[in-house]
Amino acid sequence: MNNILTITGLTFREAFAKKIFIFFFVMSTIVLLILTGIFSSTDATSLTGVMRVRGPNHQMVGSIVGALKLILLTPLYGLGLFLSIFSASSFIPDMLEKGNIDLLLSKPISRAQIIIGKFFGGSIIVFLNVAYLVFGLWLLLGYNFNDWSLSLLLAALIITFTFMLLYSLMILLGILSKSSVLSMMVSFSIFVVFSPLLAARETFGVLISSEIVKSILNIFYYIIPQTSELGTIMNSVALGKGIENYSPIIVSAIFMLIMISGSIIIFNKKDY
Amino acid sequence: MNAVEVNNLTKIFKVKTKTQQIKALNNFSLYVKEGNVFGLLGPNGAGKTTLVKTLLGIVFPTSGNAKILGEDISNIKIKERIGYLPENHKFPLFLTGENVLKYYAKLSNMDMNGIEKKIDELLSLVKMKKWKKTKVKNYSKGMMQRLGLAQALINNPDLIFLDEPTDGVDPIGRKEIRDVLANLKERGKTIFLNSHLLSEIELISDRVAILNKGELVKEGTVDEITSNHEIYEITTAQKIDSLIWEKLSSEFNLENLEENQFQVKVENSDKLNELLDVMRKSELKISTVVPKKNSLEDMFISLINEDEEKNKNE
Repeated sequence: MNNILTITGLTFREAFAKKIFIFFFVMSTIVLLILTGIFSSTDATSLTGVMRVRGPNHQMVGSIVGALKLILLTPLYGLGLFLSIFSASSFIPDMLEKGNIDLLLSKPISRAQIIIGKFFGGSIIVFLNVAYLVFGLWLLLGYNFNDWSLSLLLAALIITFTFMLLYSLMILLGILSKSSVLSMMVSFSIFVVFSPLLAARETFGVLISSEIVKSILNIFYYIIPQTSELGTIMNSVALGKGIENYSPIIVSAIFMLIMISGSIIIFNKKDY
Repeated sequence: MNAVEVNNLTKIFKVKTKTQQIKALNNFSLYVKEGNVFGLLGPNGAGKTTLVKTLLGIVFPTSGNAKILGEDISNIKIKERIGYLPENHKFPLFLTGENVLKYYAKLSNMDMNGIEKKIDELLSLVKMKKWKKTKVKNYSKGMMQRLGLAQALINNPDLIFLDEPTDGVDPIGRKEIRDVLANLKERGKTIFLNSHLLSEIELISDRVAILNKGELVKEGTVDEITSNHEIYEITTAQKIDSLIWEKLSSEFNLENLEENQFQVKVENSDKLNELLDVMRKSELKISTVVPKKNSLEDMFISLINEDEEKNKNE
Protein backbone atom coordinates (compact mmCIF):
# COMPACT_ATOMS: atom_id res chain seq x y z
CA MET A 1 0.00 0.00 0.00
CA ASN A 2 2.87 2.37 0.87
CA ASN A 3 4.38 1.84 -2.54
CA ILE A 4 1.07 2.68 -4.24
CA LEU A 5 0.86 5.88 -2.20
CA THR A 6 4.45 6.78 -3.13
CA ILE A 7 3.68 6.39 -6.84
CA THR A 8 0.41 8.29 -6.41
CA GLY A 9 2.31 11.04 -4.59
CA LEU A 10 4.87 11.30 -7.36
CA THR A 11 2.09 11.54 -9.95
CA PHE A 12 0.74 14.48 -7.92
CA ARG A 13 4.13 16.17 -7.93
CA GLU A 14 4.37 15.55 -11.66
CA ALA A 15 0.98 17.19 -12.14
CA PHE A 16 2.14 20.19 -10.12
CA ALA A 17 5.40 20.40 -12.05
CA LYS A 18 3.58 20.21 -15.37
CA LYS A 19 1.33 23.04 -14.15
CA ILE A 20 -1.74 20.84 -14.56
CA PHE A 21 -3.21 21.95 -11.25
CA ILE A 22 -2.54 25.61 -11.93
CA PHE A 23 -3.96 25.33 -15.44
CA PHE A 24 -7.15 23.65 -14.21
CA PHE A 25 -7.44 26.08 -11.33
CA VAL A 26 -7.03 29.12 -13.57
CA MET A 27 -9.43 27.77 -16.21
CA SER A 28 -12.04 26.83 -13.61
CA THR A 29 -11.66 30.17 -11.85
CA ILE A 30 -12.11 32.04 -15.14
CA VAL A 31 -15.26 30.03 -15.88
CA LEU A 32 -16.62 30.70 -12.39
CA LEU A 33 -15.79 34.42 -12.60
CA ILE A 34 -17.53 34.70 -15.98
CA LEU A 35 -20.60 32.97 -14.54
CA THR A 36 -20.50 35.26 -11.50
CA GLY A 37 -20.45 38.22 -13.87
CA ILE A 38 -23.34 36.85 -15.91
CA PHE A 39 -25.44 36.03 -12.86
CA SER A 40 -24.87 39.41 -11.26
CA SER A 41 -25.75 41.35 -14.41
CA THR A 42 -29.01 39.56 -15.20
CA ASP A 43 -32.32 39.78 -13.42
CA ALA A 44 -31.29 36.83 -11.29
CA THR A 45 -32.12 38.86 -8.19
CA SER A 46 -35.83 38.72 -8.91
CA LEU A 47 -35.53 35.03 -9.63
CA THR A 48 -33.67 34.57 -6.37
CA GLY A 49 -36.43 36.37 -4.55
CA VAL A 50 -39.00 34.01 -5.98
CA MET A 51 -36.81 31.05 -5.09
CA ARG A 52 -36.32 32.20 -1.51
CA VAL A 53 -40.02 32.81 -1.01
CA ARG A 54 -41.40 29.76 -2.70
CA GLY A 55 -38.56 27.30 -2.36
CA PRO A 56 -36.54 25.46 -5.02
CA ASN A 57 -39.44 23.24 -6.05
CA HIS A 58 -41.37 26.02 -7.56
CA GLN A 59 -42.14 24.60 -10.98
CA MET A 60 -41.24 27.50 -13.25
CA VAL A 61 -38.11 28.61 -11.42
CA GLY A 62 -37.06 25.03 -10.91
CA SER A 63 -37.25 24.49 -14.65
CA ILE A 64 -35.19 27.57 -15.31
CA VAL A 65 -32.48 26.55 -12.83
CA GLY A 66 -32.57 22.99 -14.20
CA ALA A 67 -32.09 24.27 -17.72
CA LEU A 68 -29.29 26.48 -16.47
CA LYS A 69 -27.57 23.49 -14.89
CA LEU A 70 -27.81 21.57 -18.15
CA ILE A 71 -26.51 24.54 -20.14
CA LEU A 72 -23.55 24.80 -17.81
CA LEU A 73 -22.81 21.14 -17.13
CA THR A 74 -22.90 19.78 -20.67
CA PRO A 75 -20.02 21.92 -21.98
CA LEU A 76 -18.18 21.57 -18.65
CA TYR A 77 -18.40 17.79 -18.97
CA GLY A 78 -16.85 17.98 -22.43
CA LEU A 79 -14.25 20.58 -21.53
CA GLY A 80 -13.36 18.91 -18.22
CA LEU A 81 -12.79 15.55 -19.87
CA PHE A 82 -10.93 17.09 -22.80
CA LEU A 83 -8.48 18.85 -20.48
CA SER A 84 -8.17 15.82 -18.21
CA ILE A 85 -7.32 13.46 -21.07
CA PHE A 86 -4.86 16.00 -22.43
CA SER A 87 -3.11 16.49 -19.10
CA ALA A 88 -2.92 12.82 -18.09
CA SER A 89 -1.82 11.46 -21.45
CA SER A 90 1.89 11.67 -20.68
CA PHE A 91 1.87 10.06 -17.23
CA ILE A 92 2.51 6.50 -18.47
CA PRO A 93 4.78 7.20 -21.49
CA ASP A 94 6.98 9.47 -19.31
CA MET A 95 7.25 6.78 -16.66
CA LEU A 96 8.27 4.22 -19.28
CA GLU A 97 11.18 6.30 -20.56
CA LYS A 98 14.48 4.45 -20.59
CA GLY A 99 16.52 5.24 -17.50
CA ASN A 100 13.40 6.07 -15.49
CA ILE A 101 11.57 2.75 -15.69
CA ASP A 102 14.81 0.81 -15.04
CA LEU A 103 15.23 2.56 -11.73
CA LEU A 104 11.61 2.11 -10.75
CA LEU A 105 11.61 -1.61 -11.53
CA SER A 106 14.84 -2.13 -9.60
CA LYS A 107 13.02 -1.20 -6.39
CA PRO A 108 10.99 -3.59 -4.24
CA ILE A 109 7.69 -2.63 -5.82
CA SER A 110 5.48 -4.87 -7.93
CA ARG A 111 4.54 -3.81 -11.42
CA ALA A 112 0.84 -4.03 -10.47
CA GLN A 113 1.47 -1.49 -7.67
CA ILE A 114 3.05 0.90 -10.16
CA ILE A 115 0.03 0.75 -12.48
CA ILE A 116 -2.47 1.08 -9.63
CA GLY A 117 -0.48 3.99 -8.15
CA LYS A 118 -0.47 5.80 -11.50
CA PHE A 119 -4.18 5.09 -12.01
CA PHE A 120 -5.16 6.45 -8.61
CA GLY A 121 -2.78 9.39 -8.92
CA GLY A 122 -4.26 10.53 -12.25
CA SER A 123 -7.83 9.93 -11.09
CA ILE A 124 -7.44 11.86 -7.83
CA ILE A 125 -5.81 14.79 -9.65
CA VAL A 126 -8.75 15.01 -12.05
CA PHE A 127 -11.27 14.60 -9.23
CA LEU A 128 -9.77 17.48 -7.26
CA ASN A 129 -9.74 19.75 -10.29
CA VAL A 130 -13.27 18.86 -11.36
CA ALA A 131 -14.53 19.05 -7.77
CA TYR A 132 -13.27 22.64 -7.49
CA LEU A 133 -15.18 23.65 -10.60
CA VAL A 134 -18.38 21.81 -9.70
CA PHE A 135 -18.26 23.02 -6.10
CA GLY A 136 -17.81 26.59 -7.32
CA LEU A 137 -20.75 26.17 -9.66
CA TRP A 138 -22.85 24.76 -6.83
CA LEU A 139 -22.01 27.76 -4.64
CA LEU A 140 -22.88 30.17 -7.45
CA LEU A 141 -26.22 28.51 -8.17
CA GLY A 142 -26.99 28.24 -4.48
CA TYR A 143 -26.15 31.85 -3.77
CA ASN A 144 -27.93 33.26 -6.80
CA PHE A 145 -30.96 30.96 -6.99
CA ASN A 146 -31.12 29.51 -3.51
CA ASP A 147 -30.82 26.04 -5.04
CA TRP A 148 -28.60 24.14 -2.61
CA SER A 149 -29.45 20.74 -3.97
CA LEU A 150 -26.46 18.46 -3.27
CA SER A 151 -27.19 16.33 -6.32
CA LEU A 152 -25.23 18.80 -8.46
CA LEU A 153 -22.06 17.86 -6.58
CA LEU A 154 -22.41 14.29 -7.79
CA ALA A 155 -21.52 15.58 -11.26
CA ALA A 156 -17.89 15.75 -10.08
CA LEU A 157 -17.96 12.04 -9.28
CA ILE A 158 -19.48 11.11 -12.64
CA ILE A 159 -17.02 13.25 -14.61
CA THR A 160 -14.17 11.63 -12.65
CA PHE A 161 -15.63 8.18 -13.26
CA THR A 162 -15.82 8.90 -17.00
CA PHE A 163 -12.24 10.11 -16.92
CA MET A 164 -11.16 6.94 -15.07
CA LEU A 165 -12.79 4.91 -17.80
CA LEU A 166 -10.82 6.68 -20.53
CA TYR A 167 -7.67 6.85 -18.40
CA SER A 168 -7.69 3.06 -17.96
CA LEU A 169 -7.67 2.77 -21.74
CA MET A 170 -4.90 5.39 -21.97
CA ILE A 171 -2.80 3.38 -19.51
CA LEU A 172 -3.14 0.25 -21.62
CA LEU A 173 -2.35 2.12 -24.83
CA GLY A 174 0.56 3.89 -23.11
CA ILE A 175 2.08 0.56 -22.07
CA LEU A 176 1.60 -0.93 -25.52
CA SER A 177 2.81 2.03 -27.55
CA LYS A 178 4.69 4.34 -25.14
CA SER A 179 2.99 7.13 -27.09
CA SER A 180 1.05 9.86 -25.33
CA VAL A 181 -0.23 11.17 -28.67
CA LEU A 182 -1.74 7.83 -29.65
CA SER A 183 -3.50 7.27 -26.32
CA MET A 184 -4.80 10.84 -26.41
CA MET A 185 -6.10 10.52 -29.97
CA VAL A 186 -7.85 7.21 -29.31
CA SER A 187 -9.47 8.60 -26.15
CA PHE A 188 -10.65 11.74 -27.93
CA SER A 189 -11.99 9.67 -30.82
CA ILE A 190 -14.04 7.54 -28.45
CA PHE A 191 -15.24 10.48 -26.44
CA VAL A 192 -16.02 12.86 -29.30
CA VAL A 193 -16.91 10.54 -32.18
CA PHE A 194 -17.59 6.87 -31.47
CA SER A 195 -19.50 7.02 -28.21
CA PRO A 196 -22.00 9.72 -29.38
CA LEU A 197 -22.46 7.92 -32.70
CA LEU A 198 -23.04 4.54 -31.11
CA ALA A 199 -25.35 6.06 -28.51
CA ALA A 200 -27.46 7.35 -31.39
CA ARG A 201 -27.35 4.05 -33.30
CA GLU A 202 -31.06 3.44 -32.81
CA THR A 203 -31.89 6.84 -34.26
CA PHE A 204 -29.93 6.39 -37.44
CA GLY A 205 -30.53 2.63 -37.34
CA VAL A 206 -33.74 3.14 -39.36
CA LEU A 207 -31.50 3.95 -42.30
CA ILE A 208 -29.65 0.63 -41.95
CA SER A 209 -31.41 -2.36 -43.42
CA SER A 210 -28.76 -5.01 -42.68
CA GLU A 211 -29.28 -6.86 -39.41
CA ILE A 212 -25.59 -7.83 -39.40
CA VAL A 213 -24.52 -4.19 -39.44
CA LYS A 214 -26.98 -3.43 -36.66
CA SER A 215 -25.58 -6.32 -34.60
CA ILE A 216 -22.02 -5.11 -35.18
CA LEU A 217 -23.00 -1.62 -34.04
CA ASN A 218 -24.61 -3.14 -30.94
CA ILE A 219 -21.44 -5.09 -30.16
CA PHE A 220 -19.33 -1.96 -30.54
CA TYR A 221 -21.77 -0.06 -28.39
CA TYR A 222 -21.13 -2.44 -25.50
CA ILE A 223 -17.38 -2.69 -26.08
CA ILE A 224 -16.52 0.98 -26.46
CA PRO A 225 -16.75 3.19 -23.35
CA GLN A 226 -20.22 4.73 -23.11
CA THR A 227 -19.13 8.28 -22.37
CA SER A 228 -22.24 9.84 -23.95
CA GLU A 229 -24.55 7.82 -21.75
CA LEU A 230 -22.49 8.76 -18.71
CA GLY A 231 -22.93 12.41 -19.70
CA THR A 232 -26.69 11.88 -19.83
CA ILE A 233 -26.58 10.18 -16.42
CA MET A 234 -24.59 13.11 -15.04
CA ASN A 235 -27.25 15.56 -16.23
CA SER A 236 -30.00 13.46 -14.78
CA VAL A 237 -28.24 13.12 -11.42
CA ALA A 238 -27.42 16.84 -11.30
CA LEU A 239 -31.09 17.64 -11.80
CA GLY A 240 -31.95 15.36 -8.89
CA LYS A 241 -33.73 12.82 -11.07
CA GLY A 242 -31.52 9.93 -10.07
CA ILE A 243 -30.21 7.20 -12.36
CA GLU A 244 -32.79 5.46 -14.54
CA ASN A 245 -30.44 3.08 -16.30
CA TYR A 246 -27.40 1.66 -14.52
CA SER A 247 -26.26 -0.33 -17.54
CA PRO A 248 -23.72 2.28 -18.83
CA ILE A 249 -22.15 2.48 -15.37
CA ILE A 250 -21.87 -1.30 -15.05
CA VAL A 251 -20.55 -1.73 -18.59
CA SER A 252 -18.05 1.08 -18.01
CA ALA A 253 -16.88 -0.36 -14.70
CA ILE A 254 -16.31 -3.74 -16.37
CA PHE A 255 -14.45 -2.03 -19.22
CA MET A 256 -12.26 -0.20 -16.71
CA LEU A 257 -11.48 -3.39 -14.81
CA ILE A 258 -10.56 -5.18 -18.04
CA MET A 259 -8.31 -2.31 -19.14
CA ILE A 260 -6.49 -2.10 -15.80
CA SER A 261 -6.14 -5.88 -15.50
CA GLY A 262 -4.91 -6.06 -19.11
CA SER A 263 -2.43 -3.26 -18.43
CA ILE A 264 -1.06 -5.09 -15.38
CA ILE A 265 -0.80 -8.41 -17.24
CA ILE A 266 1.02 -6.87 -20.21
CA PHE A 267 3.24 -4.66 -18.02
CA ASN A 268 4.16 -7.75 -15.98
CA LYS A 269 5.50 -9.48 -19.07
CA LYS A 270 7.36 -6.63 -20.73
CA ASP A 271 11.12 -6.19 -20.80
CA TYR A 272 12.47 -2.68 -20.27
CA MET B 1 28.32 -17.31 0.10
CA ASN B 2 27.76 -16.01 -3.40
CA ALA B 3 26.12 -12.64 -3.73
CA VAL B 4 25.26 -13.39 -7.35
CA GLU B 5 24.70 -16.79 -8.91
CA VAL B 6 23.80 -17.04 -12.56
CA ASN B 7 23.10 -20.48 -14.01
CA ASN B 8 22.80 -21.11 -17.75
CA LEU B 9 20.99 -17.86 -18.33
CA THR B 10 19.75 -17.19 -21.85
CA LYS B 11 17.95 -14.10 -23.01
CA ILE B 12 16.58 -13.81 -26.50
CA PHE B 13 15.02 -10.58 -27.67
CA LYS B 14 12.51 -10.74 -30.46
CA VAL B 15 12.63 -7.71 -32.69
CA LYS B 16 9.97 -6.00 -34.75
CA THR B 17 8.75 -8.78 -37.02
CA LYS B 18 9.20 -11.33 -34.17
CA THR B 19 10.98 -13.56 -36.65
CA GLN B 20 14.31 -11.85 -36.01
CA GLN B 21 16.00 -12.73 -32.76
CA ILE B 22 18.88 -11.30 -30.80
CA LYS B 23 20.60 -13.60 -28.34
CA ALA B 24 21.75 -11.14 -25.70
CA LEU B 25 22.83 -13.85 -23.24
CA ASN B 26 23.72 -17.36 -24.29
CA ASN B 27 23.71 -20.05 -21.61
CA PHE B 28 25.63 -17.71 -19.36
CA SER B 29 26.85 -18.72 -15.90
CA LEU B 30 28.63 -16.57 -13.34
CA TYR B 31 29.29 -16.41 -9.62
CA VAL B 32 30.21 -13.37 -7.57
CA LYS B 33 31.38 -13.83 -3.99
CA GLU B 34 30.04 -11.63 -1.21
CA GLY B 35 32.29 -8.69 -0.41
CA ASN B 36 33.96 -8.69 -3.81
CA VAL B 37 34.19 -5.91 -6.35
CA PHE B 38 33.31 -7.64 -9.59
CA GLY B 39 33.98 -5.99 -12.92
CA LEU B 40 32.06 -7.02 -16.01
CA LEU B 41 33.69 -6.03 -19.27
CA GLY B 42 32.57 -6.32 -22.83
CA PRO B 43 32.19 -4.37 -26.03
CA ASN B 44 28.96 -2.52 -26.76
CA GLY B 45 26.11 -4.99 -27.22
CA ALA B 46 27.93 -7.79 -25.39
CA GLY B 47 25.00 -8.30 -23.01
CA LYS B 48 26.38 -6.60 -19.86
CA THR B 49 23.37 -4.37 -19.23
CA THR B 50 20.97 -7.17 -20.16
CA LEU B 51 22.59 -9.36 -17.51
CA VAL B 52 22.18 -6.72 -14.80
CA LYS B 53 18.63 -5.93 -15.89
CA THR B 54 17.77 -9.62 -15.79
CA LEU B 55 19.16 -9.94 -12.28
CA LEU B 56 17.00 -7.00 -11.21
CA GLY B 57 13.78 -8.22 -12.83
CA ILE B 58 13.70 -5.42 -15.40
CA VAL B 59 14.16 -7.97 -18.18
CA PHE B 60 12.87 -11.54 -17.96
CA PRO B 61 15.15 -14.49 -18.80
CA THR B 62 14.22 -16.78 -21.68
CA SER B 63 15.72 -19.74 -19.82
CA GLY B 64 18.02 -20.48 -16.92
CA ASN B 65 17.91 -19.10 -13.43
CA ALA B 66 19.72 -16.72 -11.15
CA LYS B 67 19.94 -15.84 -7.48
CA ILE B 68 20.98 -12.66 -5.73
CA LEU B 69 21.93 -12.72 -2.05
CA GLY B 70 20.70 -16.30 -1.93
CA GLU B 71 17.19 -15.52 -3.20
CA ASP B 72 15.66 -16.19 -6.58
CA ILE B 73 15.56 -13.06 -8.72
CA SER B 74 11.75 -13.28 -8.90
CA ASN B 75 11.58 -12.40 -5.19
CA ILE B 76 10.81 -8.66 -5.15
CA LYS B 77 11.56 -8.35 -1.43
CA ILE B 78 15.27 -9.02 -2.00
CA LYS B 79 15.51 -5.70 -3.87
CA GLU B 80 15.34 -3.96 -0.49
CA ARG B 81 18.99 -5.02 -0.09
CA ILE B 82 20.09 -3.97 -3.55
CA GLY B 83 21.26 -0.67 -4.99
CA TYR B 84 21.30 0.07 -8.69
CA LEU B 85 22.67 2.85 -10.80
CA PRO B 86 21.53 2.35 -14.40
CA GLU B 87 23.39 3.68 -17.38
CA ASN B 88 21.83 6.97 -18.57
CA HIS B 89 19.42 7.07 -15.67
CA LYS B 90 16.67 9.66 -15.57
CA PHE B 91 15.27 11.07 -12.39
CA PRO B 92 11.96 12.95 -12.26
CA LEU B 93 13.26 16.35 -13.33
CA PHE B 94 10.81 18.27 -11.17
CA LEU B 95 12.30 16.89 -7.94
CA THR B 96 15.24 18.34 -6.02
CA GLY B 97 18.26 16.17 -5.25
CA GLU B 98 16.97 15.69 -1.72
CA ASN B 99 13.49 14.71 -2.89
CA VAL B 100 14.89 12.24 -5.41
CA LEU B 101 16.62 10.42 -2.56
CA LYS B 102 13.49 10.55 -0.38
CA TYR B 103 11.38 9.15 -3.21
CA TYR B 104 13.67 6.19 -3.85
CA ALA B 105 14.09 5.61 -0.11
CA LYS B 106 10.30 5.30 0.20
CA LEU B 107 10.17 2.93 -2.75
CA SER B 108 12.86 0.83 -1.07
CA ASN B 109 10.54 0.44 1.95
CA MET B 110 12.98 2.29 4.19
CA ASP B 111 12.13 3.51 7.63
CA MET B 112 11.80 7.25 6.99
CA ASN B 113 12.83 8.20 10.54
CA GLY B 114 16.24 9.81 10.32
CA ILE B 115 16.16 9.87 6.53
CA GLU B 116 17.22 13.54 6.48
CA LYS B 117 20.47 12.63 8.22
CA LYS B 118 21.08 9.72 5.88
CA ILE B 119 20.46 11.95 2.85
CA ASP B 120 22.89 14.57 4.17
CA GLU B 121 25.54 11.90 4.73
CA LEU B 122 25.16 10.49 1.24
CA LEU B 123 25.10 13.87 -0.45
CA SER B 124 28.26 14.80 1.43
CA LEU B 125 29.86 11.53 0.38
CA VAL B 126 29.24 12.27 -3.31
CA LYS B 127 30.04 15.99 -2.83
CA MET B 128 26.53 17.15 -3.69
CA LYS B 129 25.28 18.54 -0.40
CA LYS B 130 25.20 22.13 -1.56
CA TRP B 131 22.93 21.15 -4.47
CA LYS B 132 20.48 19.37 -2.20
CA LYS B 133 17.66 21.88 -2.73
CA THR B 134 18.27 22.35 -6.45
CA LYS B 135 15.95 20.71 -8.94
CA VAL B 136 17.68 17.93 -10.85
CA LYS B 137 16.68 19.49 -14.17
CA ASN B 138 19.47 21.99 -13.46
CA TYR B 139 22.11 19.33 -12.78
CA SER B 140 25.02 18.61 -15.12
CA LYS B 141 25.76 15.06 -16.33
CA GLY B 142 28.43 14.61 -13.69
CA MET B 143 26.11 15.84 -10.93
CA MET B 144 23.40 13.47 -12.09
CA GLN B 145 25.89 10.64 -11.92
CA ARG B 146 26.92 11.56 -8.37
CA LEU B 147 23.28 11.79 -7.31
CA GLY B 148 22.71 8.45 -9.04
CA LEU B 149 25.40 6.90 -6.90
CA ALA B 150 23.83 8.38 -3.75
CA GLN B 151 20.48 6.99 -4.89
CA ALA B 152 22.02 3.52 -5.30
CA LEU B 153 23.26 3.69 -1.70
CA ILE B 154 20.20 5.24 -0.05
CA ASN B 155 18.84 1.93 1.27
CA ASN B 156 22.23 0.84 2.65
CA PRO B 157 22.37 -2.08 0.19
CA ASP B 158 24.46 -5.23 0.54
CA LEU B 159 24.81 -5.63 -3.21
CA ILE B 160 25.28 -2.68 -5.55
CA PHE B 161 25.00 -2.81 -9.32
CA LEU B 162 26.67 0.10 -11.05
CA ASP B 163 26.34 0.48 -14.81
CA GLU B 164 29.00 2.88 -16.11
CA PRO B 165 29.17 4.82 -12.81
CA THR B 166 31.84 7.26 -13.96
CA ASP B 167 30.20 8.10 -17.28
CA GLY B 168 30.32 11.87 -17.74
CA VAL B 169 32.34 12.43 -14.57
CA ASP B 170 35.62 14.38 -14.69
CA PRO B 171 38.90 12.71 -13.62
CA ILE B 172 38.73 14.13 -10.09
CA GLY B 173 35.15 12.96 -9.77
CA ARG B 174 36.16 9.52 -11.02
CA LYS B 175 38.82 9.26 -8.37
CA GLU B 176 36.25 10.29 -5.75
CA ILE B 177 33.82 7.65 -6.97
CA ARG B 178 36.58 5.03 -6.88
CA ASP B 179 37.28 6.06 -3.28
CA VAL B 180 33.60 5.67 -2.42
CA LEU B 181 33.61 2.20 -3.95
CA ALA B 182 36.78 1.27 -2.05
CA ASN B 183 35.12 2.45 1.16
CA LEU B 184 32.04 0.36 0.40
CA LYS B 185 34.22 -2.66 -0.20
CA GLU B 186 35.90 -2.15 3.17
CA ARG B 187 32.44 -2.21 4.72
CA GLY B 188 31.82 -5.64 3.19
CA LYS B 189 29.52 -4.58 0.36
CA THR B 190 29.47 -6.49 -2.88
CA ILE B 191 29.86 -4.30 -5.94
CA PHE B 192 28.98 -5.42 -9.44
CA LEU B 193 30.51 -2.99 -11.87
CA ASN B 194 29.72 -2.66 -15.56
CA SER B 195 32.15 -0.42 -17.33
CA HIS B 196 34.00 0.03 -20.54
CA LEU B 197 36.66 2.06 -18.72
CA LEU B 198 39.10 -0.81 -18.37
CA SER B 199 41.65 1.13 -16.36
CA GLU B 200 39.05 1.74 -13.68
CA ILE B 201 37.96 -1.88 -13.53
CA GLU B 202 41.63 -2.82 -13.27
CA LEU B 203 42.12 -0.47 -10.33
CA ILE B 204 39.26 -1.56 -8.12
CA SER B 205 38.02 -5.02 -9.11
CA ASP B 206 38.85 -8.22 -7.27
CA ARG B 207 37.57 -10.34 -10.12
CA VAL B 208 36.79 -9.57 -13.71
CA ALA B 209 34.70 -11.28 -16.38
CA ILE B 210 34.83 -10.56 -20.07
CA LEU B 211 31.61 -10.97 -21.96
CA ASN B 212 31.19 -11.02 -25.73
CA LYS B 213 28.02 -11.67 -27.70
CA GLY B 214 26.28 -12.95 -24.59
CA GLU B 215 28.96 -15.50 -23.75
CA LEU B 216 31.62 -15.56 -21.08
CA VAL B 217 35.03 -15.25 -22.72
CA LYS B 218 37.20 -15.25 -19.60
CA GLU B 219 36.86 -14.82 -15.87
CA GLY B 220 39.39 -14.47 -13.08
CA THR B 221 41.35 -12.00 -10.99
CA VAL B 222 42.88 -9.05 -12.78
CA ASP B 223 46.30 -10.71 -12.30
CA GLU B 224 45.13 -13.98 -13.79
CA ILE B 225 43.68 -12.25 -16.79
CA THR B 226 46.55 -9.89 -17.46
CA SER B 227 49.38 -12.40 -16.93
CA ASN B 228 50.82 -13.78 -20.13
CA HIS B 229 52.24 -17.24 -19.61
CA GLU B 230 54.06 -17.33 -22.91
CA ILE B 231 56.31 -14.33 -22.40
CA TYR B 232 58.60 -13.92 -19.37
CA GLU B 233 60.92 -11.16 -18.31
CA ILE B 234 64.17 -12.50 -16.84
CA THR B 235 66.57 -10.39 -14.82
CA THR B 236 70.06 -11.55 -13.92
CA ALA B 237 72.29 -10.41 -11.09
CA GLN B 238 75.09 -9.48 -13.45
CA LYS B 239 75.54 -8.17 -16.98
CA ILE B 240 75.04 -10.91 -19.59
CA ASP B 241 78.19 -11.67 -21.51
CA SER B 242 77.87 -11.34 -25.30
CA LEU B 243 79.02 -14.91 -25.92
CA ILE B 244 76.44 -16.30 -23.54
CA TRP B 245 73.82 -14.05 -25.10
CA GLU B 246 74.63 -15.39 -28.55
CA LYS B 247 74.43 -18.94 -27.32
CA LEU B 248 71.06 -18.36 -25.63
CA SER B 249 69.72 -16.43 -28.62
CA SER B 250 70.52 -19.24 -30.96
CA GLU B 251 68.39 -21.67 -28.96
CA PHE B 252 65.59 -19.47 -27.65
CA ASN B 253 63.36 -16.66 -28.84
CA LEU B 254 64.88 -13.76 -26.88
CA GLU B 255 64.54 -10.01 -26.94
CA ASN B 256 67.09 -7.88 -25.14
CA LEU B 257 65.68 -5.24 -22.82
CA GLU B 258 68.66 -4.09 -20.77
CA GLU B 259 72.17 -5.39 -20.19
CA ASN B 260 70.95 -7.66 -17.37
CA GLN B 261 67.36 -8.12 -18.50
CA PHE B 262 65.68 -9.81 -21.44
CA GLN B 263 62.35 -11.15 -22.57
CA VAL B 264 61.74 -14.72 -23.75
CA LYS B 265 58.82 -16.23 -25.59
CA VAL B 266 58.29 -19.92 -24.79
CA GLU B 267 55.70 -22.50 -25.81
CA ASN B 268 55.42 -24.02 -22.35
CA SER B 269 56.98 -24.14 -18.88
CA ASP B 270 59.34 -27.02 -19.88
CA LYS B 271 60.94 -24.77 -22.45
CA LEU B 272 61.28 -22.03 -19.82
CA ASN B 273 62.99 -24.46 -17.40
CA GLU B 274 65.29 -25.57 -20.20
CA LEU B 275 66.37 -21.94 -20.66
CA LEU B 276 66.90 -21.46 -16.94
CA ASP B 277 69.06 -24.64 -16.84
CA VAL B 278 71.22 -23.35 -19.67
CA MET B 279 71.59 -20.01 -17.87
CA ARG B 280 72.64 -21.70 -14.61
CA LYS B 281 75.17 -23.88 -16.46
CA SER B 282 76.54 -20.66 -17.93
CA GLU B 283 76.92 -19.42 -14.33
CA LEU B 284 74.38 -16.65 -14.78
CA LYS B 285 72.72 -15.77 -11.49
CA ILE B 286 68.97 -15.39 -12.02
CA SER B 287 67.34 -12.64 -9.97
CA THR B 288 63.74 -12.73 -11.19
CA VAL B 289 61.52 -14.59 -13.64
CA VAL B 290 58.26 -12.75 -14.11
CA PRO B 291 55.48 -13.55 -16.54
CA LYS B 292 54.94 -10.51 -18.70
CA LYS B 293 51.93 -8.48 -17.67
CA ASN B 294 49.65 -7.03 -20.24
CA SER B 295 47.34 -4.19 -19.45
CA LEU B 296 43.74 -5.21 -19.04
CA GLU B 297 43.04 -3.22 -22.16
CA ASP B 298 45.56 -5.26 -24.20
CA MET B 299 44.12 -8.51 -22.90
CA PHE B 300 40.57 -7.35 -23.43
CA ILE B 301 41.21 -6.47 -27.07
CA SER B 302 43.18 -9.67 -27.64
CA LEU B 303 40.50 -11.89 -26.03
CA ILE B 304 37.66 -10.23 -27.89
CA ASN B 305 39.53 -10.55 -31.20
CA GLU B 306 40.25 -14.22 -30.50
CA ASP B 307 36.61 -14.79 -29.68
CA GLU B 308 35.50 -13.04 -32.87
CA GLU B 309 37.90 -15.22 -34.91
CA LYS B 310 36.60 -18.33 -33.19
CA ASN B 311 33.01 -17.34 -33.95
CA LYS B 312 33.89 -16.70 -37.59
CA ASN B 313 35.43 -20.12 -37.98
CA GLU B 314 32.50 -21.91 -36.37
